[in-house]
Amino acid sequence: MRLFLPCLLLLSMPIASTASAEGLKVVANTERNIQLSREQVRNLYMGATLGYGLKPVALPASNRHRSMFNTRVIGLAEARIQSYWAQMRFTGRLRPPTEVADERSLSDYLADHPGAVGYLPASYPLPDHLTVLYQTD
Amino acid sequence: MSTMTHRLRRLRQHLLLCSCLLLIAGFSASVHSEDDQGSHRPSDFGLAGFEWSGFARAVAGYLESDGSSFNGYRDNIRVNQQSLLALQPSYHVSDQLSLTGQFVAHSSDDRDSGTEWLYLNYQPSDAWQLRAGKLRMPFFSYSDSIDVGFSYPWITAPVQVYNNYLFSTFHGASASYRRAGLNYALDIEGYYGYFDGDIFAAGSRVDVDAEVKDLRGIVVKLRSHNIGLRLSYHQGENETDLPELQPLQQGLQQAGFNNLANDLDSKGTIRVSQAALSYDGLTSFYKAEWVKTRTEFSLTPEFTGYYFTAGLHIGSWTPHLTYASSSYGRVRSDTALQPVLADPQNPLFPIAAGYYQIFDAIPDGSMDSYTLGLRWDFQFNMAFKAELTWLNETAPRSGFIEPPSSGLFGEDFGNRKAEATLYQLGWEWIF
Repeated sequence: MRLFLPCLLLLSMPIASTASAEGLKVVANTERNIQLSREQVRNLYMGATLGYGLKPVALPASNRHRSMFNTRVIGLAEARIQSYWAQMRFTGRLRPPTEVADERSLSDYLADHPGAVGYLPASYPLPDHLTVLYQTD
Repeated sequence: MSTMTHRLRRLRQHLLLCSCLLLIAGFSASVHSEDDQGSHRPSDFGLAGFEWSGFARAVAGYLESDGSSFNGYRDNIRVNQQSLLALQPSYHVSDQLSLTGQFVAHSSDDRDSGTEWLYLNYQPSDAWQLRAGKLRMPFFSYSDSIDVGFSYPWITAPVQVYNNYLFSTFHGASASYRRAGLNYALDIEGYYGYFDGDIFAAGSRVDVDAEVKDLRGIVVKLRSHNIGLRLSYHQGENETDLPELQPLQQGLQQAGFNNLANDLDSKGTIRVSQAALSYDGLTSFYKAEWVKTRTEFSLTPEFTGYYFTAGLHIGSWTPHLTYASSSYGRVRSDTALQPVLADPQNPLFPIAAGYYQIFDAIPDGSMDSYTLGLRWDFQFNMAFKAELTWLNETAPRSGFIEPPSSGLFGEDFGNRKAEATLYQLGWEWIF
C-alpha cells in the first residue's frame, strides 16, 4: 500500500500532463470576480471592449498554445488572424494584443500588469493573484 | 506642360520609393535583432513613443484580350499597376493620444504617391476613439485597406465594388464606439469632412479638380460568433466643375435648352449605400458585399455592384472563388434635340451632336467576372498569391474594359460586349 500510492501518482503524471496539454485556461490579473464566455474571450482577442478594463496578451504566432487558442477559442486560422490585424493596424482602428515570448514570460507579464489577460496550458502553475476567467473543455 | 507635370510627378514618385527603400533597408537590421519570433509587431527603434510599420506589394499581371485593356493591364506583362510600398510611422504622446501617418509610394501613374493619411488619434476610453486629420474613406469593407493586399484574399479585390469608389481619402474627423456583449461585438463609426482632389470613375482617374463638401457617413459593424455584418451609408455634396463642358452648356442655354444644359451639370448629392455579410470559420469563409451609388446629376448614372466569395483555409493555403457583377442604371439624356440629329444642316446640329456624344460615352453597361485564386501565407507576415479572372461584359460599355486604340467613339465601342482574362501573381508583405 505504501508503494501503491507513489506508483499511482507516478503513473497518473504523464496522463495528467497529456490531459493538461489539451486544455487551456484564460487568466487575468484582476480583483473582479469575472467569468467570460468563449465568445467574450474571442471578442477580447479580436479587439472588442468588454468593459472590464482587460488588456489581452498573446503568445507568438509560432507558439503551440497560440495555435490551440486560435483553434478552440478564436475559431480562425493563424493566416486569417494575421490578415485581420493587418487590416486593423493599417486602417488605424485597433492594435493587436501585446505579444510575449513564451508561457513563462506571459505568466510573469500577467503578474506584473493589472488588467492583463492571457492564455496558458490548464496545468500551468498560476501565481496566487491571477484569476481564471475561462477554461476550454 | 502636362507632359512636364507628368514627368515631375513620376520623378517625385521614384524619389519617394527610393527613400522608402533606403529607410527600410536601414531599419530592417534592428527589426531582425529584436524580433526573431516571426511576428510583425511594430518596431521601436530608440525614440520613446515612436513606432513604425509598413506594407508592400509586388503584383504582375497579363491580360489576354483582343487588345482591350483592364485596370491598366494589357497583353504584355506589367508589374507597375498595383505594386507599392508604404510606411506608417506613429508617435504616442500618451496612452490616449497619438499621431499617425501613412506614406505610400505607388508604381502606377493613376495613383499619386505621398501622404495617404495623417491624423491625430485620441482614445479617451477603450470604447471610444476619435480621429482628426486626413483619413481614408470607409466606403466598403476593404476600401480603407485596399492598398494593404495582405488584408484580403485576392490580388485585385472585385473591381465591380472596389474600383468604383470615387475617392480614397478625406479631410475631417471620425468617432468610433465599440462594445461587446455576451454574444456579440458592435462597432459604430461616424465621420464628417470634405474631399478635394482627383476623383475616380470605374477605376480611372478623372482629370478634374473635384470638390465634395458636407461629406458624412455612418458605418455599423456587428459580429456574432463567426458571422459578421457591415452596413454603411455615405453622402456628400459634389461641387466639381467640368470646364470642358462649359462651352456646350452655354450653347445649349443660348439656344433655350436650359434643361439640357443642366444635364451636363455635375453638382449635386452623391449617396453610397453598402451592405456586407460574412462567415469566417476555421476551415472556410464566405463573404457577400453589395454597393449602390446614386447621384443627383445625369452624367453619373446609378451604379450597383456586388460579389460573392467562398474559400477554404487548408493550413497556410487559401484557395478561393469569387463571382462579381455590376450594372449601371439608365442614362437620363433628354430627347428634345433628337430630331435635330437627323438634319446635319440644322444650325443646332453641332450642339445636339455634342450633347448626345457625351451621353453616348457614359458607361451604361454591365460586367460579370469569375475569379479563381490561391493565397499561400508562407510566413506570418508574407503571402504569395496567384489569381485568374475571367471578365465578361453582359451589356456593352461596362466602364471597366477599355476598347483597343479605336478610342472612346470607335465604331464597335457602342455595341460590342468585351471579354478578357486577367492572370496575376502577387507578393504581399507587412512589417
